Amino acid sequence: MTWLAQWAGYLPQMMSGLGVSLLIAGISIAAGYPLGLALSMMVSAKNLAVRTLGLAVVEIGRGAPALVILYLFYYGLPKFGIAFESITAACLALTWNAAAYSSEIMRAGIQSVARGQTEASNALGISQRDTFFRVVMPQGMRSAIPGLMGVAIQMFQGTSLAYAIAVPELMKSAYNIGSQDFNYLQIFALAGICYAVISMPATWITVFFEKRLARHA
Amino acid sequence: MTVSATTDEARASHVGIKLNNISKRYGDHVVLDDVSLNVEPGTVTALIGPSGAGKSTFLRCINLLERPDSGTIRVAGHTIEPGKNVSARDLAALRRSVGMVFQSFNLFPHMTALKNVSFPQQRVLGRSKEEADERSMQLLERVGLKEKAGQHPGRCSGGQQQRIAIARALALDPSIMLFDEPTSALDPEVGLEVLSVMRELAADGMTMVVVTHEMQFARDVSDTLVVMADCKIIEQGDPRAIMSDPQETRTRRFLRAVLER
Repeated sequence: MTWLAQWAGYLPQMMSGLGVSLLIAGISIAAGYPLGLALSMMVSAKNLAVRTLGLAVVEIGRGAPALVILYLFYYGLPKFGIAFESITAACLALTWNAAAYSSEIMRAGIQSVARGQTEASNALGISQRDTFFRVVMPQGMRSAIPGLMGVAIQMFQGTSLAYAIAVPELMKSAYNIGSQDFNYLQIFALAGICYAVISMPATWITVFFEKRLARHA
Repeated sequence: MTVSATTDEARASHVGIKLNNISKRYGDHVVLDDVSLNVEPGTVTALIGPSGAGKSTFLRCINLLERPDSGTIRVAGHTIEPGKNVSARDLAALRRSVGMVFQSFNLFPHMTALKNVSFPQQRVLGRSKEEADERSMQLLERVGLKEKAGQHPGRCSGGQQQRIAIARALALDPSIMLFDEPTSALDPEVGLEVLSVMRELAADGMTMVVVTHEMQFARDVSDTLVVMADCKIIEQGDPRAIMSDPQETRTRRFLRAVLER
Protein backbone atom coordinates (compact mmCIF):
# COMPACT_ATOMS: atom_id res chain seq x y z
CA MET A 1 0.00 0.00 0.00
CA THR A 2 2.82 2.37 0.88
CA TRP A 3 4.37 1.67 -2.52
CA LEU A 4 1.17 2.60 -4.30
CA ALA A 5 0.89 5.77 -2.26
CA GLN A 6 4.50 6.67 -3.03
CA TRP A 7 4.01 5.94 -6.70
CA ALA A 8 0.97 8.15 -6.79
CA GLY A 9 3.09 10.96 -5.40
CA TYR A 10 5.88 10.37 -7.94
CA LEU A 11 3.56 10.09 -10.87
CA PRO A 12 3.23 13.75 -11.97
CA GLN A 13 7.00 14.20 -12.27
CA MET A 14 7.34 10.79 -13.92
CA MET A 15 4.66 11.67 -16.45
CA SER A 16 6.55 14.75 -17.60
CA GLY A 17 9.64 12.55 -18.01
CA LEU A 18 7.62 9.99 -19.94
CA GLY A 19 6.36 12.81 -22.16
CA VAL A 20 9.93 13.80 -23.01
CA SER A 21 10.86 10.16 -23.72
CA LEU A 22 7.88 9.76 -26.03
CA LEU A 23 8.73 13.03 -27.77
CA ILE A 24 12.32 11.95 -28.46
CA ALA A 25 11.18 8.52 -29.63
CA GLY A 26 8.49 10.09 -31.83
CA ILE A 27 10.88 12.54 -33.45
CA SER A 28 13.61 9.97 -34.07
CA ILE A 29 11.10 7.55 -35.60
CA ALA A 30 9.36 10.21 -37.71
CA ALA A 31 12.69 11.47 -39.03
CA GLY A 32 14.52 8.13 -38.95
CA TYR A 33 12.17 6.08 -41.11
CA PRO A 34 12.15 8.39 -44.16
CA LEU A 35 15.92 8.67 -43.80
CA GLY A 36 16.05 4.89 -43.50
CA LEU A 37 14.14 4.56 -46.77
CA ALA A 38 16.57 6.95 -48.45
CA LEU A 39 19.50 4.97 -47.04
CA SER A 40 18.04 1.67 -48.21
CA MET A 41 17.81 3.12 -51.70
CA MET A 42 21.36 4.47 -51.50
CA VAL A 43 22.69 1.08 -50.42
CA SER A 44 21.02 -0.53 -53.44
CA ALA A 45 22.10 2.24 -55.83
CA LYS A 46 24.16 1.55 -58.93
CA ASN A 47 26.48 4.51 -58.32
CA LEU A 48 29.45 3.35 -56.25
CA ALA A 49 29.95 6.65 -54.40
CA VAL A 50 26.28 6.81 -53.40
CA ARG A 51 26.32 3.18 -52.35
CA THR A 52 29.49 3.58 -50.28
CA LEU A 53 28.17 6.66 -48.52
CA GLY A 54 24.89 4.90 -47.74
CA LEU A 55 26.72 1.81 -46.45
CA ALA A 56 28.98 3.92 -44.25
CA VAL A 57 26.05 5.74 -42.64
CA VAL A 58 24.15 2.49 -42.09
CA GLU A 59 27.10 0.50 -40.76
CA ILE A 60 28.20 3.23 -38.33
CA GLY A 61 24.61 3.66 -37.17
CA ARG A 62 24.25 -0.06 -36.54
CA GLY A 63 27.80 -0.85 -35.52
CA ALA A 64 28.40 1.84 -32.90
CA PRO A 65 26.36 1.75 -29.68
CA ALA A 66 23.75 4.50 -29.60
CA LEU A 67 25.41 5.90 -26.47
CA VAL A 68 28.67 6.44 -28.36
CA ILE A 69 26.87 8.36 -31.11
CA LEU A 70 24.98 10.31 -28.47
CA TYR A 71 28.24 11.34 -26.80
CA LEU A 72 29.81 12.21 -30.13
CA PHE A 73 26.95 14.57 -30.93
CA TYR A 74 26.75 16.12 -27.49
CA TYR A 75 30.38 16.21 -26.32
CA GLY A 76 32.30 15.68 -29.56
CA LEU A 77 30.82 18.12 -32.06
CA PRO A 78 31.28 21.30 -29.93
CA LYS A 79 34.96 20.83 -30.75
CA PHE A 80 34.01 21.89 -34.29
CA GLY A 81 31.88 24.71 -32.99
CA ILE A 82 28.66 22.73 -33.39
CA ALA A 83 26.82 22.61 -30.09
CA PHE A 84 23.40 21.13 -29.54
CA GLU A 85 21.03 21.24 -26.66
CA SER A 86 20.97 17.89 -24.91
CA ILE A 87 17.49 17.02 -26.20
CA THR A 88 18.45 17.92 -29.79
CA ALA A 89 21.60 15.80 -29.55
CA ALA A 90 19.49 12.89 -28.25
CA CYS A 91 17.03 13.25 -31.14
CA LEU A 92 19.83 13.36 -33.71
CA ALA A 93 21.67 10.36 -32.33
CA LEU A 94 18.54 8.24 -32.06
CA THR A 95 17.39 9.36 -35.51
CA TRP A 96 20.64 8.03 -36.93
CA ASN A 97 20.12 4.83 -35.00
CA ALA A 98 16.53 4.45 -36.21
CA ALA A 99 17.51 5.27 -39.80
CA ALA A 100 20.31 2.71 -39.84
CA TYR A 101 18.23 -0.13 -38.41
CA SER A 102 15.07 0.65 -40.36
CA SER A 103 16.98 0.96 -43.64
CA GLU A 104 18.11 -2.67 -43.43
CA ILE A 105 14.60 -3.83 -42.58
CA MET A 106 13.15 -1.86 -45.51
CA ARG A 107 15.85 -3.11 -47.86
CA ALA A 108 15.10 -6.69 -46.88
CA GLY A 109 11.37 -6.03 -47.38
CA ILE A 110 11.93 -4.48 -50.79
CA GLN A 111 14.23 -7.31 -51.86
CA SER A 112 11.63 -9.87 -50.79
CA VAL A 113 9.21 -8.61 -53.46
CA ALA A 114 9.01 -11.19 -56.25
CA ARG A 115 11.05 -10.42 -59.35
CA GLY A 116 8.00 -11.02 -61.50
CA GLN A 117 6.49 -7.80 -60.13
CA THR A 118 9.28 -5.69 -61.60
CA GLU A 119 9.19 -7.68 -64.83
CA ALA A 120 5.45 -7.24 -65.22
CA SER A 121 5.78 -3.54 -64.55
CA ASN A 122 8.67 -3.23 -67.01
CA ALA A 123 6.77 -5.19 -69.64
CA LEU A 124 3.85 -2.78 -69.27
CA GLY A 125 6.21 0.12 -69.96
CA ILE A 126 5.75 1.64 -66.51
CA SER A 127 8.68 3.93 -65.65
CA GLN A 128 11.43 2.78 -63.29
CA ARG A 129 10.32 5.42 -60.82
CA ASP A 130 6.68 4.31 -60.77
CA THR A 131 7.77 0.68 -60.72
CA PHE A 132 9.71 1.32 -57.54
CA PHE A 133 7.38 3.69 -55.72
CA ARG A 134 4.02 2.30 -56.79
CA VAL A 135 4.62 -1.41 -57.39
CA VAL A 136 7.65 -2.67 -55.47
CA MET A 137 7.89 -0.37 -52.46
CA PRO A 138 4.29 -0.69 -51.21
CA GLN A 139 4.67 -4.47 -51.20
CA GLY A 140 8.11 -4.36 -49.60
CA MET A 141 6.92 -1.97 -46.88
CA ARG A 142 4.06 -4.30 -46.05
CA SER A 143 6.43 -7.07 -45.13
CA ALA A 144 8.69 -4.58 -43.33
CA ILE A 145 5.96 -3.30 -41.00
CA PRO A 146 6.46 -5.77 -38.11
CA GLY A 147 10.22 -5.17 -38.15
CA LEU A 148 9.73 -1.40 -38.24
CA MET A 149 7.38 -1.56 -35.29
CA GLY A 150 10.04 -3.53 -33.44
CA VAL A 151 12.55 -0.76 -34.13
CA ALA A 152 10.05 1.80 -32.85
CA ILE A 153 9.81 -0.03 -29.52
CA GLN A 154 13.59 -0.32 -29.40
CA MET A 155 13.85 3.44 -30.04
CA PHE A 156 11.46 4.23 -27.23
CA GLN A 157 13.50 2.15 -24.82
CA GLY A 158 16.67 3.64 -26.27
CA THR A 159 15.56 7.10 -25.16
CA SER A 160 16.69 6.06 -21.66
CA LEU A 161 20.25 6.61 -22.90
CA ALA A 162 19.52 10.31 -23.13
CA TYR A 163 19.71 10.23 -19.34
CA ALA A 164 23.48 10.17 -19.78
CA ILE A 165 23.47 13.69 -21.22
CA ALA A 166 20.98 15.04 -18.69
CA VAL A 167 17.88 15.13 -20.89
CA PRO A 168 14.91 15.33 -18.49
CA GLU A 169 13.37 12.11 -19.78
CA LEU A 170 11.85 9.24 -17.84
CA MET A 171 15.08 7.81 -16.40
CA LYS A 172 16.33 11.24 -15.42
CA SER A 173 13.05 11.99 -13.65
CA ALA A 174 13.28 8.69 -11.82
CA TYR A 175 16.85 9.35 -10.79
CA ASN A 176 16.03 12.83 -9.55
CA ILE A 177 13.15 11.58 -7.44
CA GLY A 178 15.29 8.74 -6.12
CA SER A 179 18.10 11.06 -5.09
CA GLN A 180 15.66 13.09 -2.97
CA ASP A 181 14.38 10.35 -0.69
CA PHE A 182 16.56 7.36 -1.62
CA ASN A 183 13.60 5.09 -2.44
CA TYR A 184 15.48 3.84 -5.47
CA LEU A 185 13.77 0.45 -5.51
CA GLN A 186 10.29 1.92 -5.67
CA ILE A 187 11.12 4.64 -8.15
CA PHE A 188 13.03 2.47 -10.63
CA ALA A 189 10.36 -0.21 -10.39
CA LEU A 190 7.88 2.49 -11.35
CA ALA A 191 10.15 3.62 -14.20
CA GLY A 192 10.26 0.03 -15.45
CA ILE A 193 6.49 -0.16 -15.32
CA CYS A 194 6.21 3.12 -17.27
CA TYR A 195 8.42 1.74 -20.05
CA ALA A 196 6.53 -1.55 -20.03
CA VAL A 197 3.12 0.10 -20.14
CA ILE A 198 4.07 1.60 -23.52
CA SER A 199 6.26 -1.21 -24.90
CA MET A 200 4.10 -4.21 -24.11
CA PRO A 201 0.93 -3.09 -25.89
CA ALA A 202 3.14 -1.97 -28.78
CA THR A 203 4.57 -5.50 -28.93
CA TRP A 204 1.08 -6.96 -28.91
CA ILE A 205 0.11 -4.69 -31.79
CA THR A 206 3.20 -5.84 -33.67
CA VAL A 207 2.27 -9.49 -33.17
CA PHE A 208 -1.27 -8.71 -34.30
CA PHE A 209 0.06 -7.10 -37.48
CA GLU A 210 2.41 -10.01 -38.11
CA LYS A 211 -0.51 -12.42 -37.93
CA ARG A 212 -2.69 -10.27 -40.13
CA LEU A 213 0.00 -9.88 -42.78
CA ALA A 214 0.73 -13.62 -42.69
CA ARG A 215 -2.96 -14.31 -43.27
CA HIS A 216 -3.18 -12.10 -46.36
CA ALA A 217 0.19 -13.04 -47.82
CA MET B 1 21.04 0.00 -78.78
CA THR B 2 19.10 2.39 -80.93
CA VAL B 3 15.40 2.58 -81.32
CA SER B 4 13.83 4.39 -84.19
CA ALA B 5 10.26 4.81 -83.15
CA THR B 6 7.42 5.54 -85.45
CA THR B 7 4.25 6.64 -83.76
CA ASP B 8 2.33 5.78 -86.91
CA GLU B 9 -0.02 3.18 -85.45
CA ALA B 10 -1.34 2.13 -88.84
CA ARG B 11 2.11 1.36 -90.14
CA ALA B 12 3.14 -0.25 -86.89
CA SER B 13 0.28 -2.70 -87.01
CA HIS B 14 1.41 -3.90 -90.41
CA VAL B 15 4.89 -4.70 -89.29
CA GLY B 16 4.59 -7.64 -86.95
CA ILE B 17 7.86 -8.97 -85.58
CA LYS B 18 11.17 -9.58 -87.29
CA LEU B 19 13.95 -11.07 -85.20
CA ASN B 20 17.28 -11.52 -86.93
CA ASN B 21 20.26 -13.53 -85.69
CA ILE B 22 19.45 -13.26 -82.01
CA SER B 23 22.13 -14.68 -79.73
CA LYS B 24 22.21 -14.69 -75.97
CA ARG B 25 24.58 -16.27 -73.49
CA TYR B 26 25.11 -16.19 -69.76
CA GLY B 27 28.86 -16.49 -69.37
CA ASP B 28 29.83 -19.69 -71.17
CA HIS B 29 26.28 -20.95 -71.25
CA VAL B 30 24.63 -20.35 -74.62
CA VAL B 31 20.87 -19.80 -74.38
CA LEU B 32 20.07 -18.62 -77.91
CA ASP B 33 22.28 -19.41 -80.84
CA ASP B 34 21.68 -17.19 -83.85
CA VAL B 35 17.89 -17.46 -83.90
CA SER B 36 15.74 -15.65 -86.50
CA LEU B 37 11.97 -15.46 -86.71
CA ASN B 38 9.34 -13.56 -88.68
CA VAL B 39 5.85 -13.04 -87.36
CA GLU B 40 3.32 -11.66 -89.81
CA PRO B 41 0.86 -9.13 -88.38
CA GLY B 42 -2.45 -10.64 -87.38
CA THR B 43 -1.07 -14.15 -87.04
CA VAL B 44 -0.60 -16.48 -84.10
CA THR B 45 2.77 -18.16 -83.63
CA ALA B 46 3.10 -21.01 -81.16
CA LEU B 47 6.54 -21.71 -79.73
CA ILE B 48 6.95 -25.27 -78.50
CA GLY B 49 9.85 -27.47 -77.50
CA PRO B 50 11.51 -29.17 -74.55
CA SER B 51 12.35 -27.15 -71.46
CA GLY B 52 15.70 -25.44 -71.63
CA ALA B 53 15.34 -24.96 -75.38
CA GLY B 54 15.35 -21.18 -74.99
CA LYS B 55 11.68 -20.54 -75.82
CA SER B 56 10.98 -18.19 -72.93
CA THR B 57 14.26 -16.35 -73.29
CA PHE B 58 13.57 -15.86 -76.98
CA LEU B 59 10.08 -14.55 -76.25
CA ARG B 60 11.45 -12.21 -73.60
CA CYS B 61 13.93 -10.79 -76.09
CA ILE B 62 11.02 -9.40 -78.09
CA ASN B 63 10.17 -6.80 -75.42
CA LEU B 64 13.73 -6.68 -74.09
CA LEU B 65 13.02 -8.23 -70.72
CA GLU B 66 16.13 -10.12 -71.80
CA ARG B 67 18.81 -8.21 -73.68
CA PRO B 68 20.22 -10.31 -76.50
CA ASP B 69 23.98 -10.05 -77.00
CA SER B 70 23.61 -9.61 -80.73
CA GLY B 71 21.02 -9.53 -83.49
CA THR B 72 18.33 -7.15 -84.64
CA ILE B 73 14.85 -6.82 -83.28
CA ARG B 74 12.10 -5.18 -85.28
CA VAL B 75 8.87 -4.93 -83.42
CA ALA B 76 5.83 -2.91 -84.50
CA GLY B 77 7.84 -0.18 -86.14
CA HIS B 78 10.70 -0.05 -83.64
CA THR B 79 14.11 -1.30 -84.68
CA ILE B 80 16.56 -2.24 -81.97
CA GLU B 81 20.19 -3.17 -82.38
CA PRO B 82 21.98 -4.53 -79.34
CA GLY B 83 25.37 -3.10 -78.52
CA LYS B 84 24.31 0.47 -77.83
CA ASN B 85 22.34 1.88 -74.92
CA VAL B 86 18.61 2.15 -75.31
CA SER B 87 17.02 5.11 -73.58
CA ALA B 88 14.27 4.55 -71.06
CA ARG B 89 11.99 6.55 -73.31
CA ASP B 90 12.55 4.38 -76.37
CA LEU B 91 12.24 1.26 -74.30
CA ALA B 92 8.89 2.47 -72.97
CA ALA B 93 7.73 3.21 -76.53
CA LEU B 94 8.63 -0.32 -77.60
CA ARG B 95 6.97 -1.94 -74.61
CA ARG B 96 3.83 0.09 -75.05
CA SER B 97 3.14 -1.66 -78.33
CA VAL B 98 3.86 -5.12 -76.92
CA GLY B 99 1.71 -6.70 -74.20
CA MET B 100 2.97 -9.63 -72.17
CA VAL B 101 1.29 -12.35 -70.11
CA PHE B 102 3.37 -14.41 -67.69
CA GLN B 103 3.15 -17.96 -66.41
CA SER B 104 2.85 -16.68 -62.84
CA PHE B 105 0.34 -13.90 -63.73
CA ASN B 106 2.35 -11.25 -61.83
CA LEU B 107 -0.67 -9.15 -60.97
CA PHE B 108 0.04 -6.41 -58.43
CA PRO B 109 -1.26 -7.97 -55.19
CA HIS B 110 -1.76 -4.64 -53.40
CA MET B 111 -4.18 -3.34 -56.04
CA THR B 112 -7.73 -4.42 -56.86
CA ALA B 113 -8.39 -6.12 -60.19
CA LEU B 114 -9.73 -2.82 -61.54
CA LYS B 115 -6.69 -0.89 -60.32
CA ASN B 116 -4.38 -3.51 -61.80
CA VAL B 117 -5.88 -2.81 -65.22
CA SER B 118 -6.28 0.96 -64.77
CA PHE B 119 -2.99 1.89 -63.13
CA PRO B 120 -0.76 1.16 -66.17
CA GLN B 121 -3.16 3.07 -68.43
CA GLN B 122 -2.96 6.14 -66.20
CA ARG B 123 0.82 5.96 -65.88
CA VAL B 124 1.80 4.87 -69.38
CA LEU B 125 -0.90 6.36 -71.59
CA GLY B 126 -1.76 9.28 -69.33
CA ARG B 127 -5.45 8.42 -69.29
CA SER B 128 -7.55 9.97 -66.55
CA LYS B 129 -8.83 7.68 -63.81
CA GLU B 130 -12.34 7.81 -65.27
CA GLU B 131 -11.21 6.98 -68.80
CA ALA B 132 -8.96 4.22 -67.56
CA ASP B 133 -11.62 2.69 -65.32
CA GLU B 134 -14.13 2.74 -68.14
CA ARG B 135 -11.75 0.92 -70.45
CA SER B 136 -10.81 -1.50 -67.65
CA MET B 137 -14.43 -2.39 -67.01
CA GLN B 138 -14.96 -3.07 -70.73
CA LEU B 139 -11.96 -5.40 -70.75
CA LEU B 140 -12.85 -7.11 -67.50
CA GLU B 141 -16.28 -7.75 -68.97
CA ARG B 142 -14.68 -9.11 -72.11
CA VAL B 143 -12.68 -11.64 -70.11
CA GLY B 144 -15.78 -12.43 -68.05
CA LEU B 145 -14.66 -10.89 -64.78
CA LYS B 146 -16.62 -7.70 -64.39
CA GLU B 147 -17.87 -8.79 -60.97
CA LYS B 148 -14.27 -9.25 -59.73
CA ALA B 149 -13.31 -5.61 -60.36
CA GLY B 150 -13.24 -4.67 -56.67
CA GLN B 151 -11.39 -7.78 -55.49
CA HIS B 152 -7.71 -8.12 -54.85
CA PRO B 153 -5.85 -10.79 -56.88
CA GLY B 154 -5.40 -12.95 -53.76
CA ARG B 155 -9.17 -13.46 -53.76
CA CYS B 156 -9.27 -14.67 -57.36
CA SER B 157 -8.53 -18.13 -58.72
CA GLY B 158 -5.48 -18.68 -60.88
CA GLY B 159 -7.56 -18.69 -64.05
CA GLN B 160 -9.27 -15.46 -63.04
CA GLN B 161 -5.93 -13.85 -62.22
CA GLN B 162 -4.54 -14.80 -65.59
CA ARG B 163 -7.58 -13.34 -67.36
CA ILE B 164 -7.17 -10.12 -65.37
CA ALA B 165 -3.52 -10.10 -66.43
CA ILE B 166 -4.62 -10.41 -70.06
CA ALA B 167 -7.03 -7.50 -69.60
CA ARG B 168 -4.21 -5.47 -68.01
CA ALA B 169 -1.99 -6.03 -71.03
CA LEU B 170 -4.78 -5.35 -73.53
CA ALA B 171 -5.68 -2.09 -71.79
CA LEU B 172 -2.58 -0.43 -73.25
CA ASP B 173 -3.84 -1.22 -76.77
CA PRO B 174 -0.82 -3.26 -77.82
CA SER B 175 -0.43 -4.35 -81.41
CA ILE B 176 1.33 -7.54 -80.32
CA MET B 177 0.72 -9.89 -77.41
CA LEU B 178 3.32 -12.25 -75.96
CA PHE B 179 2.27 -15.20 -73.82
CA ASP B 180 4.86 -17.04 -71.74
CA GLU B 181 3.30 -20.41 -70.84
CA PRO B 182 0.07 -18.72 -69.76
CA THR B 183 -1.65 -21.92 -68.61
CA SER B 184 1.27 -23.87 -67.17
CA ALA B 185 0.54 -22.79 -63.59
CA LEU B 186 -3.16 -23.63 -63.88
CA ASP B 187 -5.34 -26.70 -63.40
CA PRO B 188 -6.27 -28.16 -66.81
CA GLU B 189 -9.92 -27.15 -66.38
CA VAL B 190 -9.11 -23.62 -65.26
CA GLY B 191 -6.62 -23.29 -68.10
CA LEU B 192 -9.53 -23.66 -70.51
CA GLU B 193 -10.98 -20.27 -69.44
CA VAL B 194 -7.69 -18.63 -70.30
CA LEU B 195 -7.33 -20.49 -73.59
CA SER B 196 -10.81 -19.47 -74.67
CA VAL B 197 -9.97 -15.80 -74.05
CA MET B 198 -6.82 -16.29 -76.12
CA ARG B 199 -8.80 -17.95 -78.91
CA GLU B 200 -11.13 -14.95 -79.04
CA LEU B 201 -8.16 -12.62 -79.16
CA ALA B 202 -6.65 -14.57 -82.03
CA ALA B 203 -9.97 -14.54 -83.86
CA ASP B 204 -10.04 -10.75 -83.52
CA GLY B 205 -6.77 -10.57 -85.41
CA MET B 206 -4.29 -9.88 -82.62
CA THR B 207 -0.68 -10.65 -83.45
CA MET B 208 0.32 -13.25 -80.88
CA VAL B 209 3.41 -15.22 -79.94
CA VAL B 210 2.67 -17.99 -77.48
CA VAL B 211 5.16 -20.19 -75.66
CA THR B 212 3.05 -23.18 -74.71
CA HIS B 213 2.79 -26.85 -73.89
CA GLU B 214 -0.89 -26.89 -74.95
CA MET B 215 -0.58 -28.90 -78.14
CA GLN B 216 -4.29 -28.77 -78.91
CA PHE B 217 -4.21 -24.98 -78.77
CA ALA B 218 -1.04 -24.85 -80.83
CA ARG B 219 -2.60 -27.05 -83.51
CA ASP B 220 -6.02 -25.39 -83.63
CA VAL B 221 -5.25 -21.73 -83.11
CA SER B 222 -1.75 -21.01 -84.33
CA ASP B 223 -0.93 -20.12 -87.93
CA THR B 224 2.71 -20.99 -87.51
CA LEU B 225 4.25 -23.61 -85.28
CA VAL B 226 7.85 -23.03 -84.24
CA VAL B 227 9.77 -25.88 -82.63
CA MET B 228 12.81 -24.95 -80.56
CA ALA B 229 15.43 -27.27 -79.14
CA ASP B 230 18.99 -26.76 -77.98
CA CYS B 231 18.98 -22.95 -78.28
CA LYS B 232 17.77 -23.02 -81.90
CA ILE B 233 14.65 -23.16 -84.02
CA ILE B 234 14.76 -26.64 -85.51
CA GLU B 235 11.53 -26.62 -87.45
CA GLN B 236 8.73 -24.22 -88.31
CA GLY B 237 5.68 -24.12 -90.49
CA ASP B 238 2.05 -25.22 -90.62
CA PRO B 239 1.14 -26.69 -87.22
CA ARG B 240 -0.92 -29.60 -88.59
CA ALA B 241 1.77 -30.57 -91.06
CA ILE B 242 4.51 -30.54 -88.43
CA MET B 243 2.43 -32.43 -85.90
CA SER B 244 1.40 -35.15 -88.31
CA ASP B 245 4.68 -35.39 -90.17
CA PRO B 246 7.66 -33.82 -88.37
CA GLN B 247 10.80 -33.58 -90.49
CA GLU B 248 13.33 -33.58 -87.67
CA THR B 249 14.04 -36.52 -85.39
CA ARG B 250 14.28 -34.16 -82.41
CA THR B 251 10.79 -32.79 -83.21
CA ARG B 252 9.42 -36.30 -83.58
CA ARG B 253 10.85 -37.29 -80.20
CA PHE B 254 9.40 -34.21 -78.52
CA LEU B 255 5.98 -34.56 -80.13
CA ARG B 256 5.81 -38.22 -79.22
CA ALA B 257 6.51 -37.28 -75.60
CA VAL B 258 3.77 -34.64 -75.44
CA LEU B 259 1.13 -36.14 -77.72
CA GLU B 260 1.33 -39.83 -76.93
CA ARG B 261 1.43 -39.79 -73.18
